[in-house]
Amino acid sequence: MANRALEGLTIVECGATGAASYASKLMADLGAEVIKVEPPEGDPQRALGPFPGGDPHPEKSGAFLYRNCNKLGVTLDLTSNSGQAILRKLLKDADALIHDFPPTDAAARGLTYDAIGGDFPNLVMTSITPFGQDGPYRDYKAYDLTTLSAGGWAWLNGWPGHPELPPLRAFGRQAEYQSGVNGALATMGALFGRLKTERGQHIDISAQECITAILEMTFAFWPYMETPTARWGQRPIQPVDFFQCKDGAWMFVLCVEEHQWTSLVEMMGTPEWTTWEVAANRLVRASNWDALRPFMEEWVAEQDSADLYRLAQEKRIPLAPASTISDLVNSEHLKERGFFLEVTYPEAGAIKQPGAPYQFQSTPWEIRSPAPTLGQHNQAVLSERLGEDLSSLKEAGVI
Amino acid sequence: MAGPLDGIRVADFTWVWAGPTSTLQLAHMGAEVIRMESMRRPCVLRMLPPWLDGQIGLNRSGYFNQYNQGKRGITLNISSPEGRDIAKKLVAISDVAAENFAGGISDRLGLGYKDLSKVKSDLVMISMSGYGQTGPESGYVSYGPAQVPLSGMSQLTGYRELDQPMHVGMSYGDPNAGLHAAFAVIAALFHREKTGEGQYIDMSQWESTMAVMGDGFMEYAMNGSPPPRNGNRVDEMSPHGVFLCEGDDRWVSIACGSEEEWGALCNAMERPELTTDPRFATLADRKANEDALEALIMEWTIPRDPFEITKTLQAVGVAAFPPLVNRELADDPQLNARDFFVEKEHLEVGVRKHPGIPWKMSDTPCEVQRAAPVMGQDNDYVFGELLGMSSKQIADLVERQVIF
Repeated sequence: MANRALEGLTIVECGATGAASYASKLMADLGAEVIKVEPPEGDPQRALGPFPGGDPHPEKSGAFLYRNCNKLGVTLDLTSNSGQAILRKLLKDADALIHDFPPTDAAARGLTYDAIGGDFPNLVMTSITPFGQDGPYRDYKAYDLTTLSAGGWAWLNGWPGHPELPPLRAFGRQAEYQSGVNGALATMGALFGRLKTERGQHIDISAQECITAILEMTFAFWPYMETPTARWGQRPIQPVDFFQCKDGAWMFVLCVEEHQWTSLVEMMGTPEWTTWEVAANRLVRASNWDALRPFMEEWVAEQDSADLYRLAQEKRIPLAPASTISDLVNSEHLKERGFFLEVTYPEAGAIKQPGAPYQFQSTPWEIRSPAPTLGQHNQAVLSERLGEDLSSLKEAGVI
Repeated sequence: MAGPLDGIRVADFTWVWAGPTSTLQLAHMGAEVIRMESMRRPCVLRMLPPWLDGQIGLNRSGYFNQYNQGKRGITLNISSPEGRDIAKKLVAISDVAAENFAGGISDRLGLGYKDLSKVKSDLVMISMSGYGQTGPESGYVSYGPAQVPLSGMSQLTGYRELDQPMHVGMSYGDPNAGLHAAFAVIAALFHREKTGEGQYIDMSQWESTMAVMGDGFMEYAMNGSPPPRNGNRVDEMSPHGVFLCEGDDRWVSIACGSEEEWGALCNAMERPELTTDPRFATLADRKANEDALEALIMEWTIPRDPFEITKTLQAVGVAAFPPLVNRELADDPQLNARDFFVEKEHLEVGVRKHPGIPWKMSDTPCEVQRAAPVMGQDNDYVFGELLGMSSKQIADLVERQVIF
């Protein structure tokens, strides 16, 4: 019995952004074998920070290392015929191909379903692009900020009361992560379906759509009430707001259900607030929030953040601190759950990084190996498995 | 074959946003998802706006109707022992059970994995609590909005001009957790198909949110301090920002990822001399003079329409796009050309436009099967057809507020 959920699956991944990398990482961490194909000069992610000391180095890119553990790494020039021929040899034994080249770049690498589907009818091929495989913006140039804008998220992010400041990206290339997790999800679904149909297929993923699909209640304000979304999103209920505590830390004060509000105002020593008409329920509080906010601001400013958090949670009020990274890596709770783990990379050394997003009871999520160095597995994969002659490939500039 | 999960049934105990987002994905792929709700404690989303025409009503919320498309809905009071027994009968004929109560609650209700796996030995079950099922804070209550600050994302997102953490504009912890959860469930189903073994998955929304903040943790581990809040700027590109345009609160995002793109932008702005201006000649120069650079670009964008700018710049290969508002998304030529939006008849609100499925499959096409259910819409189908109860039995359970 396989003790890893995805043991036995082979995924070939190639691409230009973190989207394909994150999609195949999710599968690698559950036991799939992922063969990552990089161009001879390396995945463009290797040029992205963070770097130790801020000094760029292809084997020390935090962006690359985090998304590429558990993978085998080979180099191939996919713009050359011989590179494409070798890729097709890899695909013979693969279950899925995940890539994130925009349509024109993909075509230049032979990565269209027209070119691949016929020869590999059992292969699931997943193409992640900013706008999808068709439509008028198919070939629009996009980076993460572009997609966050086109998907409708950037408009929602900012600080109320500062219309002079622009719509804002969220931290950390989230359009890549979202199209990546959708990529993994759809690929996994297709691989499950294949157990029955015994056929592969093509999956077309639009990052713009991945963002538009998760805009909370803000999109529906148009078809339901013909209300355009406010900058900073809709805030139909309150409190859902940040306040600074005595010690300078920020607390996110949130009451979703009325009993939570009742407990909160009791805790504040102002139970009479529950009888105030201006605070009668979460919707009314939202319309009167400008007037109510200063009272809460004043009270929170006298509290110690750690005590406030603990006391509120004891009363089942869902307050939460605005954690710093240092709060998180030192959290007792996360320590006990073993969330952070240390991975030792050949060049960048030991790094404590986020671990499992979920814990499987019988088939572990695990990091088995650090991200591959450039071309680390050319010998094991290209030479030993496929019988390629590495030195002639090197000479021809294919690897 | 409809979607690839055709034939899979999901007993859906989830509520609010994270859990329903996970089962939404399964419904998108053709699984039969049966959402259990109760009048005793209706889903928070049903009681949040937007309601059609602004009139409050349990079946009128666009928020609920968005994330429960394609699902069946029943009313079952699982706080009663009889209701729990019926829930277990449903689990016994399902493949997956999903819940997102606070840690420990499903066990207390007698609906935890150890209870449910007794009635369905190869069940795949996922719990999606805020803090996970173990650890000293596992009993803490959490909602998606709080996951954004809790995970550290609020501290890392923000303007240089303001010393404040940011909410990011939506409860990102919820959909992100839901999508990771759906992936995990299908992986577990895949494993079950091969081995016959079901299993339990403990997912913490907090941890799944930190999983998509890898760069922040890597920076801290490598250099001992978190990355600074830097507005829309990034180290590897310049310009990289959102610029004010003509009109009322209109903006456009512009990003140049190479010297070629920077040159194309300068030409489009009719300022080719900027490429050789010592302040802007290289990426390092532009990063060092980014305030001046952004001011120059803004001079060009302010009198212009953001969609015209987008057309002009995209024609020369420069990444540009306005931050779209919901109305513009609904009318967006790209989303509409790809038939992204779904318009299914809902029993109470009729046909409304909803975002659909962000992937297309060529061989097992995925489709939203039906609009979101009104309260108890599928009681007859589930209690009668699936569980074999007579109409008399059902009426009796309704009478005693078990089906409620």
